[in-house]
Amino acid sequence: MLSRAFSRGGLMAILVAYTAFAGFPFLWVGTMSLRTTTEIAYNHYGWPSPAHWAKFRTAWIDSAFNTYFANSAAVVIGSVAVITLVGSAAAHCLARYRFPGNRLIYFILFSSIILPPQIVLIAVYQTLVEYNLYDTLWGLGLVYVSLQLPLTIYLLEGFFARIPQDLFDAAKVDGYGDFEIFFRLVLPVGMPAIATTVILNFILLWNEFLFAVVLIADDDLRTLPVGIQRFMGDHFQDIGMIATGVMISVLPVVVVYAFFSEKLIQGMTAGAVK
Amino acid sequence: MPQQVGNGSAAWRRLLRPGTGGDTSGASWLVLLLFLGPALLVFGAMTAYPMVRTICDSFFTIDDPDKPIWVGLANYVTLAGDGTFRRAVVNTLIWSVAAPVLDVGVGLLLALCLYAKVPFTRFLRVAWFTPVLLSYVVVAIVWLWLYNYDWGIVNVLFRAIGLGGLASAWLGNPHLALGSLIFIDVWKWAGFNMVVCLAAIHSLPSEVLEAAELDNCGWGGKLRFVIVPMLRPTLLNLYILAFVAKMKVFDLVWIMTQGGPLWSTETVSTYVYKRAFAWNTFDLGYPAAIASVWFGVVIVTVLLLNRLLRSRERVEF
Repeated sequence: MLSRAFSRGGLMAILVAYTAFAGFPFLWVGTMSLRTTTEIAYNHYGWPSPAHWAKFRTAWIDSAFNTYFANSAAVVIGSVAVITLVGSAAAHCLARYRFPGNRLIYFILFSSIILPPQIVLIAVYQTLVEYNLYDTLWGLGLVYVSLQLPLTIYLLEGFFARIPQDLFDAAKVDGYGDFEIFFRLVLPVGMPAIATTVILNFILLWNEFLFAVVLIADDDLRTLPVGIQRFMGDHFQDIGMIATGVMISVLPVVVVYAFFSEKLIQGMTAGAVK
Repeated sequence: MPQQVGNGSAAWRRLLRPGTGGDTSGASWLVLLLFLGPALLVFGAMTAYPMVRTICDSFFTIDDPDKPIWVGLANYVTLAGDGTFRRAVVNTLIWSVAAPVLDVGVGLLLALCLYAKVPFTRFLRVAWFTPVLLSYVVVAIVWLWLYNYDWGIVNVLFRAIGLGGLASAWLGNPHLALGSLIFIDVWKWAGFNMVVCLAAIHSLPSEVLEAAELDNCGWGGKLRFVIVPMLRPTLLNLYILAFVAKMKVFDLVWIMTQGGPLWSTETVSTYVYKRAFAWNTFDLGYPAAIASVWFGVVIVTVLLLNRLLRSRERVEF
């Protein structure tokens, strides 16, 4: 009995230690985002008292985080919307229609998930320059659509293929055409899977860095990850303000996580579980 | 469910089949085109075409984008003798082999902790998953501070427990930098693997675990003889997924060390980026050659892993 209690205690110790390990860095940045750099330099691990909420206003307006935030929101929301529509149409087509080349297209799309991004990076840069899309949010959005489309189609195809054929037959009897079936049957029934891919794409693109740093040069067009990185480069010493910027950039993710943690975890792990 | 690939002609025949759906009647080509066309257009323009173009670029010197100069295999010959590239390959391989073992191993152990019916399971699961959601930029900035020599928590803790001698410049020492970065990688991804492992453990038939309990099987034995073998497909899946992801690793390295000190953390991705966009001479041909070689390496590795690890398992990644 004693050894059992002992091992129980050991287990609890591990749990507490790992929770601190996983959570501490983020909470620490949270406290620093409310302290001035002078206060931080005096003691890096102090509690924010008084809490300088005004720093968020300063970062938002004076350090252009409002611009970065708006750029990120525009690119990410735009591309996720396009990915969702284009991806679910393609997934429905591959899951439900029988035509020569169906599985070949599926295999090619599915295989491209493993491609290292460098293999397209250089040529995408060249192509966007040629079509005057380099250094525009449109160009970046287009690249984002292509980045996430294969995974989205792969996940949705798996789900759509499991919708019972009876539903489709019944819809046909009711006189639904091909597009009515897609918009009024597949999209509503497939909503849980679609929501999962929306969340997954939102997080991955919100955090995307490589293409954003290569394809955007203008400071006014930077997305949040690149904006913070450059801010950090220019104000290396200003730890307090960098921490505030970091908190602004993760805020949407934190808010979504607070309300939909289960859905978010499900979305992020969807690719691995299948 | 993805189809099984890699089994020779049977697999190819399956690919040439017209698809699994039941709906054949009246599907005109126009309908198919409207559904599938946009996706294929984006894929063709932004994935397939750039891929081919990058490979073509690798046979040119492109210092002026309007006038590429044909150089044949010269870029590849240079690449074969490029010490920095070799260093980058070795670092990336170390990262790709070691980090997934740690990611999946720690993830599995965490999942087992939660499976042991501790209180607050739901809270812990959510808390441990948090690092997965943070962008690499954020993670990199925070860990730059955590690794700070003077006031970073790592060195502060070492000094507090009287092991001040172990306090180091974690990112400044060429012998420690790569390991320090891999440590962050594990911190970020262990929660992800934990969630997947936990779901897999919960889906194991409970009779098997109960039978093991009746046989007086200890935790170590249960882990070794029951849980790990039964989770083998999941663990392999996670390993390959992580392996492929690590072969692309860029953000963390670029923001924290830019490949330094002394190329000790250079990865293939950072080297391609450097040669293409941050080198003192502008040339897109040489980085295209690096990218093409690496593309080949990734494909071959994935095929090999598939063959070695799951000859009897369905192929999914």
